[in-house]
Formats: sequence, structure tokens, C-alpha cells
Amino acid sequence: MAAFTLKIRRFLPESGDAPFWQEFDVDLDGHRSVLEGILSAKAREDGSIGIRCSCRAAICGSCGVRINGRPRLACNTHLDEAVKDSPDGGKIVVEPMGNMPVIKDLIVDMDAVHWKKVRRVTPWLLPEGPPPEREYIVSHEAMVDVTQTMACIQCGACVSDCLSMEVDPLFIGPAALAKAYRFVGDPRDGGHYERLKDLAEDPAGIYDCTHCFNCIDACPKGVAPMSQIMRLRRIAGRDHEIEDRNNGYRHEHAFVDNIERNGLLHEADLLPDSYGGKMHPRAVPELIESLPVVAKGLARGKITPRKALTHPHRKDFKDVRKLVKRVESKDEPLELNLYIVGYDEVEEGSAR
Amino acid sequence: MPSHDVLIIGAGLAGQRAALAAAEAGATVAVMSKVHPVRSHSNAAAGGINAALNPEDSWESHAYDTVKGSDFLGDQDAIEIMCREAPEEILWLEHRGVTFHRDETGHLGTRAFGGASAARTYYVADITGQALLHVLYEQLMRFHAQIDRYEEWFVTSLVQGGDGECTGAVARNIRDGSMETFTAKGTILASGGAGQAFQPTTNALICTGDGIAQAYRAGARLMDMEMIQYHPTTLLENGFLITEGARGEGAQLFNKDGERFMERYAPNKMELASRDVVSRAGQTEINEGRGVGPDGQGIHLDVTLVPKKRILEALREIVNIGRDFAGVDITKEPITIRPGQHYIMGGVKTDVHGLTDVPGLYAAGEVACVSVHGGNRLGANSLLDTLIFGRRAGEHAAGRADGMPAPAEPPASRVRDEEGWIASLLQRGPESGRRVSEIKAELGTAMNQYCAVFRDEDGLAQCLEIVRRLQEEAKSAYVDDRGAIFNQDVLGAIELGYMLDCAEATVVSALERKESRGAQFRTDFPERNDDEWLKHITVTATPEGPELDYAPVTITQWQPEERKY
Amino acid sequence: MKVAYWPGCVSRGFTPELHGSMEKVAPLLDIELIELDRASCCGAGVISEHSQELADTLNARTFALAEQTGEALMMNICSTCQGSMTECQERLDANGEYRMAINDNLREEGLTYDRAVTNKNLAWVLVEEIGLDELRSRVKRPLSGLKVGPFYGCYIVRPRERLGIDEERPRHTYLHQIIEALGGTVIDYAGVYKCCGFPIITMNKEASLKQAGRHLGDALDADADCLVTPCPLCHLNLDLQQPLAEKVVGRELNLPVLHLPQLLGLALGLEPKDLGLQRHVVKPTSVIDWTQAVVAGAPAEAA
Repeated sequence: MAAFTLKIRRFLPESGDAPFWQEFDVDLDGHRSVLEGILSAKAREDGSIGIRCSCRAAICGSCGVRINGRPRLACNTHLDEAVKDSPDGGKIVVEPMGNMPVIKDLIVDMDAVHWKKVRRVTPWLLPEGPPPEREYIVSHEAMVDVTQTMACIQCGACVSDCLSMEVDPLFIGPAALAKAYRFVGDPRDGGHYERLKDLAEDPAGIYDCTHCFNCIDACPKGVAPMSQIMRLRRIAGRDHEIEDRNNGYRHEHAFVDNIERNGLLHEADLLPDSYGGKMHPRAVPELIESLPVVAKGLARGKITPRKALTHPHRKDFKDVRKLVKRVESKDEPLELNLYIVGYDEVEEGSAR
Repeated sequence: MPSHDVLIIGAGLAGQRAALAAAEAGATVAVMSKVHPVRSHSNAAAGGINAALNPEDSWESHAYDTVKGSDFLGDQDAIEIMCREAPEEILWLEHRGVTFHRDETGHLGTRAFGGASAARTYYVADITGQALLHVLYEQLMRFHAQIDRYEEWFVTSLVQGGDGECTGAVARNIRDGSMETFTAKGTILASGGAGQAFQPTTNALICTGDGIAQAYRAGARLMDMEMIQYHPTTLLENGFLITEGARGEGAQLFNKDGERFMERYAPNKMELASRDVVSRAGQTEINEGRGVGPDGQGIHLDVTLVPKKRILEALREIVNIGRDFAGVDITKEPITIRPGQHYIMGGVKTDVHGLTDVPGLYAAGEVACVSVHGGNRLGANSLLDTLIFGRRAGEHAAGRADGMPAPAEPPASRVRDEEGWIASLLQRGPESGRRVSEIKAELGTAMNQYCAVFRDEDGLAQCLEIVRRLQEEAKSAYVDDRGAIFNQDVLGAIELGYMLDCAEATVVSALERKESRGAQFRTDFPERNDDEWLKHITVTATPEGPELDYAPVTITQWQPEERKY
Repeated sequence: MKVAYWPGCVSRGFTPELHGSMEKVAPLLDIELIELDRASCCGAGVISEHSQELADTLNARTFALAEQTGEALMMNICSTCQGSMTECQERLDANGEYRMAINDNLREEGLTYDRAVTNKNLAWVLVEEIGLDELRSRVKRPLSGLKVGPFYGCYIVRPRERLGIDEERPRHTYLHQIIEALGGTVIDYAGVYKCCGFPIITMNKEASLKQAGRHLGDALDADADCLVTPCPLCHLNLDLQQPLAEKVVGRELNLPVLHLPQLLGLALGLEPKDLGLQRHVVKPTSVIDWTQAVVAGAPAEAA
């Protein structure tokens, strides 16, 4: 047994008071969870502490909170680990999740944000035609693959710290897009193209993810929402060649073409190409808007006219060109999902 | 005042399945739950769902295994229905998007499970319950026009008309504390079990016997309440479930001498004997000093015998549980487990359509006792039970509602009384009595001590005394939260009352059954006694306390025989 | 110390002062840079979004080239390179069958990746290979009084497990530690670990620049004199785009953003001009009086 101090951000909506911090000392073994700590404080000291919880075993998804500033499930965060992470002199700091309105204490309004976004992605199977007499015949791998997103418990931890959503509340977000992959990756679903087209065209869709990896770290179940978003982009852009109005498709293709041509990224080409080429109507206003920036860059010697026109290193990368062609010509390029295959038996001290 | 053809209380698998079936049959439906539907305890059913879908298998074989697993206390007419309809239900789920495991040919694949004579358990890794629950919720969102969802509403009591017929429920909106009456032509209880009356338990904090107590208070009979399943493999640390799927995939049990002790208890089925058998074996090893762990209170479950790739693919969740809650990498070393409270075979007595003794009131899932599980439920039959009887209740309630006039609204005083009762509860302070949480803890400890794998007269009598004292204390127990918004404290006080009702019914039934059958093992009556006890025990609430009675066991084609695994 | 050196693309493209300052700083830290001049772009997470195999192949090629130098340590100066290359390396290292398939793509060029190289960002090299004590001992002009906000860049701090961030290697604190070792004051602000917004600059410009603008504003509010970042892509959004970010967030910012080697260079005694500080859109001289703040009464010995 050891003493732990929980510093809980409380908000009692009926009091009229602003949120405040309250500390609770709990006596529990270090391998007990932060949830058990909170429930112990609730049972012994103050029954009014609000937190949703049910299974205690990280399967029901109720107890998403921020612990020491990071989104976690309270039930699978150990007290002794949380203490080590403390930003506040050993106190375990517990707050409600972000990006969602707080109802009371650690309870947030998931309906207002999370579930609304889930409903946005048509979250049910759209089978093609009448069902077969028995089961659909689909590959073992495909089912294991979508099981990764099926493992999502809708706890909202990824939504809590999504940095795109922080600046663009309309962003459909990691949980809902992972849910979308659950259908796009499911061979039984007949709406792949429509789903992808919809999510690619929406300015708040798959191309609104800023690659911050917060959702991957936040997810307690290994769903890796951002990886699923990237797979949605891959399937939309490469398999379905959906040219969206958000430049997602063009940016991706311009990037790959750029590397194929130059070996190294030639930014002066990439920007206009991402808008459809220097002379593309879409590119013109963007370029005009960028003019002051470009002018400053030129003035500071950051961008030189020679560099802007030709890539200095281009000739050195013939091998890269061949390599890109070789991989790009494959019908089904390889994809390895470590969630599914796991790691070969690890040799100690392997390079990384 | 919201009015529907069918009101469903509880939104786990039974409730959601009932809602979809009732809506499909054309009824207007409300589904209400004290938690968001995907937080329901159906999540915890990890291992799979049984069905004789494979052409080489037969529903009769499934039914026989279930009857035998029940120690011949299950009602065979209901078991026949469940097993006959199982394959169709699996396909229904598959067509709606459940990501069931496939074999190498792309067909549905199975795993082995306890007490079964064939590998007939269909599964999604070890998140089967979660996968089913989330897929049903997808369907619930899809049919939002037909199904009204009341998420985070807490039922405080059932409403009955003058003739005793159930016409709805009074519920509290947890988000703002307001109370409302919901009227319905039919009401389906689907609010799960009462595992929280035991500590520790594999059950979620929400499993507080609400529906069992609500029906009991409304006059319905409870049945088989003494039959409490202890799961053989729950984490020593905190009682969390380690799925039977682990043993299905090849994991084995060992005592401190490294002996695979199941060889002595069930030489044929070994670790895959029925749960009561394996739990008793494990508990015997512990009691006789052959346990592992700090106080010898555990048993080793060795999952390393399962190939690693298979573990990642099929048992990932217990890898997480081992890592997060026991600090053990189950792919590398054994994990320490013990038998722990898991499931209540008993519940509100229903017929095969889910109808209870109270007209207009149905029950399905763990809250109900059809009885398909009798003295002991087979692994992977619980998901099946929820879906089959959830659907049947939904269909029947919709059919019954068709053409029926909407019930009269109860007088406004009905809600006011309930509000007043809660308000008085909120008035109490520390001077009035004990904390709700203290009483709950004492109840859980007592039940787990006296009403567990092994029981006897003395212990049960002591337990009953404790439960009755706690019932008295609960009347004056106090809570801290005085607010309206998300006052979980006051709900805890109401739940405590529900749990105490369930606990009392369990203990009096266990005292009554003077034999050993299924999950009930009386050390003072260690043999099964078909002559006197091949019958159900029922409990009815009366002002004087629980009244016991008996109900016959329905036997169709399988006569009782000695049970060997 | 010799390292196989991977400068990345942007450090030789839009932020030439980054590569330039690294080359100036390296000798002062006794780092011999063996430049991987044939290596290609890491894909910046965009190529893997198009084709995982292509991204893994290109990076396997870079690792193979690094292995050819005979050095076990490869150094990069870009958070994005670190992150996207580590992602590829994780897959290549985890699965022998997959590695063979990717190596098959490289065979024509006579290259093969053998898991014999560790790829570390400059910040990691400084803390783990050179050591902060050693670094401190080489400081000629402590950054006394300079209030520096660290800006790590997503790719170098997440996902933690993949990047090997743990108690023993708290890589998410290295920038903090380096700033302190150089004599500066760390400014903690809301944006330290957040996203600069660059990856969506062509897709959702407003959301992109709002991120950059907010973090700059938060740092200003926390009283930072400047930011330092190990990521040239962050630098593009935070510095090159700062005038546009100002418009999006509706406030004047004018906060200089330094590349990590530039900050090192200043402390190691190099002149702002040698480090290309004049090339930034937001001129560091506009808010930092180098003769006062940085020199802090201790004139650079090299000067």
C-alpha cells in the first residue's frame, strides 16, 4: 500500500462556480488503477465526484479522461506509473477529456461531438444486394484486418487530443474515420466508393488530418486511427483514384511524381502541383496569396530563382527513378500491418 | 409523456436485439439504458457464441451439451428452441456486419469451448461480445427513425395498471435529474445480471440487478437464483475475466506442483469441462494447499502453449489484460487466476417468449431465467441466450402490441412520489446511517465468502443474517451528492436496494436447495439428488419477505444421468 | 565521432540555412558528417500514404546506403525524417519475410538493408551520444537570458513506443535539456508538442495556419524570445508562413524560429550570419539583440 494524491479537476455545473482543483489522498497498491483511486476517493470521501465507468477492464470505453495531460482510460492506468508522469510534484492530475464540452467533473458530452461524428460516416454495413443463403465468403485476412478497427471501444481518447479538431471542430476526427475504415476495409460492404468519395470531398474529411499521431498514442486498444485514415487516403487515392476538391489526391500524386523526378523533394514544384499545376485555375489564387511569402523568401535568399526552376540534384537520382517505377508498376504493392503479424521474436538490443 | 408500443429497459445485446426485432415487426420502440448502449456488460463476453451451424454438427448435440452442462436443471423445451434457432441467428449477425473469424477457405471458423462436444463457438478474436454489441448499435443508429434511444436514463420502478399489468416505467434522466413516466404496451427488461452483489466479480459496475429487483417488486417470480456461476479463470489480482477462449485455444491449468490437475477431475474434457466442474477443481486445489501465488490463492493458467501468432490474432485482449492488470506477458509466462463470480443463471422467470408472470412485462438475457442454463451455463451460450430470447421477446411484444390500445397514463402523482422518495434520500446525511459504498462492500464480501463455489447451511444462514441487516441499514444510508446533474451517488443508493433484493433471493434459494447440482455445491449435501431436487426453486416478494416455491423442470428427450467430463 | 549523415530534402531546399548551419556546427562538436548524397526523400509520411511498399523501399535504400558507410549510427536533422523513417524501419525490422521482399526491390542497385544502422535525430545524438556535459563544456557563449520555446514536431515525439521514448530515454525532453545545457531558459507553452499544421497546408490552409499561429501566439504569451525546432517542415509553417499565420489568427506575432543547429551554433560561438539567421522570414535580430541577450556580457571567443 502506498499513498497517492489525485488532483482532480472538478466542475459542478449547478454550483455556478468555475472549475476547480481538488486533491484526494488514496491508500492503494501502486499497480491499482487511477480509476480505482478515484472510486476509492468517491466511496470514502466524496460521493459526488463524477466519472463514467463500468467494466474496469478497458473494454467498455466509459472512463476516458486526461491523466497528467494525456488522454487515457482511468482503468488501465496504474497509479505508480501515473505518479512517474506527474507534471505536478508527484500528484496525479486527472482532468476531463478535451475537444468535448464538460457536463460535470470528469464527464464530457460525447453525444455533442463524438457520436455525432460517428453518425456522420454512415456507420453501418451497406451490403450489396440481398444477403447470401449462408455467410459471406470473405478472406480470413480481411476479417482480421477490420477487427483492428472493430476493437475500438468508442472511449473518445483519440477525439480528446486530436490536434486537427482543436483548430477545426468540424473535422470528422480519428474515431469516426477509423469507424469508416471498418466498412471500407470490409469486403462485404458495397459502398466503398461512395464512402470514400464522400470522405475525400468533405473539407473536414480524410484530408483534414494533420498527421500528429496523437490518436495513435491515445488509443488504449491499438486501433491506430491515424493509420486507418492514411489507409482510407491510400484506397481513395490509389485504388479508386478519387480526385477530391481538397487537393488530397493531387498532393499525394504530386509528391510521388516529384520524388520520382527528382529523388529529393523539390518544394518549388510541389506546391503548385498540389493545386493541379502552376497554371491550374486552382493554383493561381493560392500562388498569388503566397506571393508575399515567396517574395520574402527570395529576398532572404531562402529561395533562389535557379532552385525554383530546376532541381540542383536531379541528375544524381536515376536509380531512385527506376526504383519508384518498379514499385509503382506492381498491381498490389505490399502492406505490412504489425497489429496483425506482430513482431518476429525480438533480439535484444536490435537497432532503433 | 413518451409512449411506445414497446419499451425496452437495458441496451446490451438482449435489449438491442429486442429493439431491432420489435421495430422490424412494425412496433414503435424505445430503448432505454442507464449507460450508453456500447458500455453495456455484453462487451465482456469475450470468447464467442455457440451454434450448430456446421453441417457435421447438430442442434440436438448442442442442446444435449447444454442440458448436461445445466446439470439437468435447464428446461429442455427452451433449450431446444435456443439451439435450433442459433444457426439462423449467427447468419443474421454475419449479414449485418459482425466480423466473425474465418477459416482459410473464407467460411465462418469456430473454436472449442468448455462442455461442448464439437467446436461450435463462433467468434471475433476475443472481443466477440464487443463486436456484436457495436454491430447491433450500428443497426440501432441505422434504424433511428423507428427506434427512440434514451441513453443514460435510469429506471426507478415499473409502472403497473390497476390489474397489475405492466404499462411502462418511471425513469430519471441522469444528465439533468428530471423524472419522466414512459408508457408502453409491452415492457422488456434486458438490464443484465447482479454480479456487483459479489466482490470481487468479473461483472461491470453497472451489473446491479436492477431489472431482477424491479420485476420482483412488481410481483414476478424469480427462479434458479441460487445458481451463481463462478468462472474458473479470473485474475487473482482483481477478479477480471480471462476468457474461456484461452483454454479453447489450448491453454492449460497447473497447480503449484506443476501438475495439470484437471487430469484428476475431468480426464476426458480436461480444461474444457463445464465451468462448475473446472471452478470446483481449481478451488479444491487452492483449499487443499496446492495453489500458487502469494497466499496460495491462485492457479496457473499457461497460455504460452498457444502459438504466438494465434494469441495475437485470437487472444489479444487477454494479452492486454495480463499486461495492464497483472504485469504479465501471457505470451511468455503463466498468469495466476482463480475462480470468480461471473454470471447468474437465475433471474426473472419467463416463458419461451420472454413473458414473465406480470402481464405486459418481458425479460431477456441475464436478467431472465427461461431457464436455458439451469444449474450451470456453458461458455458461449450467454451471448446466444441474449440474442435468441431478446429477439423472441421483441417479436412477441410487437405482436402483442399490434391493435392494442395504448395503456392509460398513470396519474402524475406516480412521478411525484418517486421524485419525493429520491428527494428524501438526498436529505440524509452522515448522522442518519452508513455510507452506501460501505454497505455495498460488506454485501459483496459476505456473498463471496458464503455463497461461492462451496456452500453450507451455517455459512448461508450467516450470510442471510448479514444481508437482512444490510437491508435495514440501506434504508437509512446516505449519499454525498445533492445535485441533479449526473448524480451517480443517488443512483448508487437505488442500485444498492436492487442488489440486496437479488442477494436475499439468492441466499434463501441456496439455503433451500439441499443438494449439490451445477453451480450449487453444498458441502453438507455433496450429492445431486434428483428424487427430491430435480425442480426449480422460485422466489416471490411478499410484504413478509421472500416466499419460496417450486416449478417443474421441463424434460423433453434427455433424462437425467450422471455427469462426467 | 563519425556519422552517416542524412540532411533530408528541405534542409537543402527551402531551408538551406539548416544544412548550412549543421555543417558549420558539426566540427565544433567533433562530428564528422559522411553525407548520404545519393539517398532520397523519406516520403514525409505522404509516400507511405500512397504506397507503403514504396516508402519502405526508399527508406530501406537510405538505410542500406548508410550501412555502406560502415558507420552504425546515422544522423538526421529533421523530425519528419526521423518519424517517417522510424515507421518504415519498424516494419522492416519486425518482419524478416517483409524485409526480404523489400530488399528484393533494392537488389538491382546492389543494395541491401541489414538492420545494422540506428537512425537518430541530432537532438538524440547530442543527448545520447555526445552527452549534455560534453555539450555544456563546449559552450563558448551561453544563451544566458534567452528564453527559448522548444517546438519538437509531431514526428519526433509520437508514437512514443515506436520512437523508443521511455523512462530511460525521455526523448520528448531532449530539446528542453539541450536549451538548458546551452545556458538558455526553457519556456513551456501549450504548443510544445503540438502540430505545426504543415501536413495540411495544401488541403486546409486555414486549419494549418491556425495551428502555427496559435502555437506562436501561446509561446509569445509565455514570454518566449524565440522557438527552436529540430524540424524544417515545422520551420516552414512557423517561419516562412508566419505572415499568413498572423492573418489567420488575427494578431501580430513576429516570433523568430531557429533551427536546432543554429541555436547550437550561437552557443558554440558562431556568428548569426554564419548560421544563416538572416535568411529567416522573421528576422531573429528584430526581437533578439544578439549582442545583449545572447552574448550576455560574454563575448564569443570565436568572434
